[in-house]
Amino acid sequence: MVLVLIEALIAACLVGAAVTFMVPDRYAGKVGLAASLVPLGIATYMFATFEASGNALMGGQLAFEEQFQWVTLGEAYALNWHVGLDGISMPLVALSTVLTSLAILSAWTPIDERQSQFYGLVLFMEAALLGVFSALDFFVWFVFWEGVLVPMYVLIGVWGGPRRKYAAIKFFVYTNVASLAMFIAFVALVFGLGDAVDTFDMPAIAAALGETGIQADAVPVPGLDVETFKILVFAALFFGFGVKVPVVPWHTWLPDAHVEAPTPVSVLLAGVLLKMGTYAMLRFNFTMLADVARDPNVAVAVGLFAAVSVIYGAMLALAQSDLKRIVAYSSVSSMGYVILGLIALTVYGVGGATFQMVSHGLISGLLFMVVGVIYNQTHTRMVQDMSGLADRMPVTVGVFVAGAFAYMGLPLMSGFAGEFFVFVGSFGSPNLPSSPVFTAVSMFGIVVVAGYLLWAMQRTLFGPFRLETDYELGRAPVQDVLPLLALLALVVLLGVAPDLAFEMIRDAVNPMVGGEVSAALGGGA
Amino acid sequence: MSFEYAPAIALLPLVSFAIALTVGSRMPKKGAFAGIAATGGSLLLSLLAVRQVAGGEHHNEELLVWAGAGAGTELELTFGILIDPLSALMLIIVSLVAFLVHVFSLGYMNDEGEVGLPRYYAGLGLFTFSMLAFVYASNLLQAFMFFELVGLCSWLLIGFWFREAAPPSAAKKAFLVTRFGDFFFLVGVVGVAVTFAGATETPLAFAGAESFPVVAEEVVEGSMGAGELATFGFAPQTWFTILGLLVLGGVVGKSAQFPLHTWLPDAMEGPTPVSALIHAATMVAAGVFLVARMYGFYAVSPQALAIIAFVGGFTALFAATMGVVKDEIKQVLAYSTISQYGYMMLALGAGGYIAGVFHLMTHAFFKALLFLGAGSVIIAMHHEEDMWKMGGLKQKMPVTYWTFLAGSLALAGIFPFAGFWSKDEVLFEALVHGLGASPFLLAAYAMGLLAVPVTAFYTFRMVSLTFHGEARTEAAEDPHGVRWNVKFPLVVLGVLATVAGFLNMVPVVKLLGASHLGPIPLEALHDWLAHGIEGVNAEHYTLADESLTHEFAGYTAGYVGSELVTTLLSAGLSLGLAVVGAIAGYRLYDAPDPTEHTDRLGSMKTVLYDNYYQDEYQVWLAEGVTAPLAQLANRFDQGVVDGVVDGVSSVSLLSGSRVRRIQTGVVSNYAALITAGLIVLLIAVGVLGGWF
Repeated sequence: MVLVLIEALIAACLVGAAVTFMVPDRYAGKVGLAASLVPLGIATYMFATFEASGNALMGGQLAFEEQFQWVTLGEAYALNWHVGLDGISMPLVALSTVLTSLAILSAWTPIDERQSQFYGLVLFMEAALLGVFSALDFFVWFVFWEGVLVPMYVLIGVWGGPRRKYAAIKFFVYTNVASLAMFIAFVALVFGLGDAVDTFDMPAIAAALGETGIQADAVPVPGLDVETFKILVFAALFFGFGVKVPVVPWHTWLPDAHVEAPTPVSVLLAGVLLKMGTYAMLRFNFTMLADVARDPNVAVAVGLFAAVSVIYGAMLALAQSDLKRIVAYSSVSSMGYVILGLIALTVYGVGGATFQMVSHGLISGLLFMVVGVIYNQTHTRMVQDMSGLADRMPVTVGVFVAGAFAYMGLPLMSGFAGEFFVFVGSFGSPNLPSSPVFTAVSMFGIVVVAGYLLWAMQRTLFGPFRLETDYELGRAPVQDVLPLLALLALVVLLGVAPDLAFEMIRDAVNPMVGGEVSAALGGGA
Repeated sequence: MSFEYAPAIALLPLVSFAIALTVGSRMPKKGAFAGIAATGGSLLLSLLAVRQVAGGEHHNEELLVWAGAGAGTELELTFGILIDPLSALMLIIVSLVAFLVHVFSLGYMNDEGEVGLPRYYAGLGLFTFSMLAFVYASNLLQAFMFFELVGLCSWLLIGFWFREAAPPSAAKKAFLVTRFGDFFFLVGVVGVAVTFAGATETPLAFAGAESFPVVAEEVVEGSMGAGELATFGFAPQTWFTILGLLVLGGVVGKSAQFPLHTWLPDAMEGPTPVSALIHAATMVAAGVFLVARMYGFYAVSPQALAIIAFVGGFTALFAATMGVVKDEIKQVLAYSTISQYGYMMLALGAGGYIAGVFHLMTHAFFKALLFLGAGSVIIAMHHEEDMWKMGGLKQKMPVTYWTFLAGSLALAGIFPFAGFWSKDEVLFEALVHGLGASPFLLAAYAMGLLAVPVTAFYTFRMVSLTFHGEARTEAAEDPHGVRWNVKFPLVVLGVLATVAGFLNMVPVVKLLGASHLGPIPLEALHDWLAHGIEGVNAEHYTLADESLTHEFAGYTAGYVGSELVTTLLSAGLSLGLAVVGAIAGYRLYDAPDPTEHTDRLGSMKTVLYDNYYQDEYQVWLAEGVTAPLAQLANRFDQGVVDGVVDGVSSVSLLSGSRVRRIQTGVVSNYAALITAGLIVLLIAVGVLGGWF
């Protein structure tokens, strides 16, 4: 039986988007939700029946793979439609569909104009996101990659807060400049392979890099030796994806975008869009160019980016008094752990990084939603404007507390699992010099994160009730609370049984670090 | 008989958590009965476990794989259950105190008409579950996970009265300070996993031939090569010391040892039954218990042992002195708790494994008793905690008084109450190993000994101020009565605080030269802990001729005269000092209208009232250093990092608008520019080409 499930997944989003665009505004929320349940259902089915082995770029046996020639570029290069999932991309596909459905539900309360366009754009963006996580041809992948930007730009620019134009343009220009750097670098890399490849097929390129490697006479920049060229490509790719992640110092678009974006858009931005960056790093920097990442100097540089992101991001979060900015900056910090796991190049490191992507998607989505629910009721997000909310909104506050502790890495919730895997993977990493030091320094983030989240909770949720805005505080409506509980359940489920996702992740990560005795943990440095 | 029921010991309270959380508000006592039934069930099952362990059985089984199952990794992370004499004893302590605290809560919370009780009982249930799961965790990671969860419960319950300002703040402080310690603990867990993963199948397990303490021992001893261990360039023993000290960070935080003790007095903002359960008898014990649990790992590292002993001895004295000037009954008890955990650390560090565990047990009973007694007083006093406003409660609440007195005698270390036996054994171990092995231990012993009269002094100051003299306020004149649900737990614990010491009467054994008096064992706890799983028992740690502390830390007993003389001397000295302190405390404050007497302390008075400025400097670290640093980072981020980003766009916009100006539309301007450009170009080419 031929089931073109990935195409069905993407098509369902696009058809849903088209339908939602056309229905009247007052039905758009319900239609949008219904439309998003189709890809959610398909993705759930795919997750349940998922059978694959190995890594997508390293000759692994893929699930739901489709490949056929699409267009040719002259004689030299062919563009293929090539999609498929391995253990790394499958959890991210599932995450995207879950968060989109829940984000749409959480948008019912705050989005009160141009609903059909809003939900249509969200579904359109979902299609592009799913494409990014499943495409295996660079050209197709890049089209999806850029396809995410446009709806996001519009979603922030139209439905955002007072400084939405600034935030949207900053987001768009910044990430587009980064995309440009990344695109040029990657195309140069492919040219550098000379005649070894005649397509933009990513597995083929990865194989060619591993077997024949860069040809000295094919390096597109004259006078550059192969090693330097590869390091430059690695750096350009790292920058291109690092803006998206975001890695310090390229993170400043993120708080602006989050503060201006409406809650459901923040959920998708933090929950899924940031993971595009780390996912692409995993595929390009740490799979295709893994030998560059194994250069000790490169490893130390990347390790520094990771540790600085964790600690500096957490320090910035500590200085904020807008709840949404706090959560936004803490994303910078949490994504630093992902980078740390990736550069470790061990099973637990890279696997933990991937798990952390999923986990952070759920937890940051949860926290953004909770802040949104509070904002819907109070119309403020400033810590000093409120206190004692627990008195009036017990369930919302309960979820806030649970989500905050998940963010702090409380065991039996997914955040702990992700962080612990990363730490175990990076502590003894044979790839990263002084790995215990990098790991221990980054781990101090778990203290700082507790500092700002506990402080924020103490000030806003507890103490005598006080609210500086003129709104009557009521209990949050069911459609606001339901997505919170759903996310919390997933966070706990993955925390109690991380192997639900971690097993397939490990399977896909193994070939990346394979062949080494100490592949799992490192062991000995 | 097998231990198939073992998971239920922890899971029963989890069920009561779920019940209280979901349907607690619709239940008759808001979830209390579910909690009582669950902890009662845990207690019965724990007793069953103890009976089996007494029959020589143990249990060390992997229950399930948490993460990393199957091929492709060298490290499976598992949950398992380890029931041996140590954990079985602790299971009894935890489930018993939890059960009694649930009953007591009926009086302290339900009868007093508190709101939010389902949340309260849910918190207690979750705590009991986590604590029990911690106690019989079979590996270090599992222990860490539940160690963190009890921290969450502590936060939830300290901040129970969240509508007031102080409890949420205290909860935050408690979690943050312990989190700081847990950071080191987590680094230690990760380090242990990575270090031992190459050498054994179960690198994180506490017990068994492949467990990390046993492997560490074999490597240090030389019977196993260090080749498969990852020691990051250190000698194995040095690296084990580093790992042990990292784990110790969590211990110092949780067991409120110097310098991370500051959270515990603040934690008294929580309801008193919570203080009794979490902040006296069980959760605070988790740190010390962990040291005992992986004692084999510490025993191969003399430096780690010395640090444990010294931190313990210092904390015992340091905290006791602060207890002397406190006005609120719960504050006295909080500082006393810190001090008493110091004794346990002292014992463990000094090679007194049994003494440490013994004191852990007796302390759990008498300190839970004192806290519940204080709770009873607080009910009676209409929630007044200041001892200066009490007085004369002895006649009005006899059950509370007599049980409280039993607890106080135990705390002060007066013969024959429980605390006398255990504290004496702690000091004895420190003394003989100090004499025989290291002057460092003697210093720690001296601090522990100095703390004895101080402890007795503040204890009887507390008893006098609270119960003796005359009523000093209207509330004390006419105290609120307490019911059976308060008295029953007091009586149970009062009996235990009186007799629990008889489990281990070492001086009597030495005196009689026999370990049994007829059929009665005189050192039952000693025998209990000596056996158990191979390599994880007191025999192996400290008792045997070739014990770990002897072999690796060089601990040898040294005596003044003979062993018997030293025993009696040590016991007599600590008892004498305790009696002196107790009488002084009693006499000084047993007056109808007692005075503070603190002026006699001179300049020490302010230092003690301000707790040696420990809180000040930690608050300064948070508010005076970290917060401004964060603000600085934020300004740097807004100004410099983001400034560059905005700068790039401004430069593009600005240069665009400037360059646009040359487009004037006047043909002669264009002609002039073209000419000028040509000339510049020619000159440039000329210079570069060497025309001139």
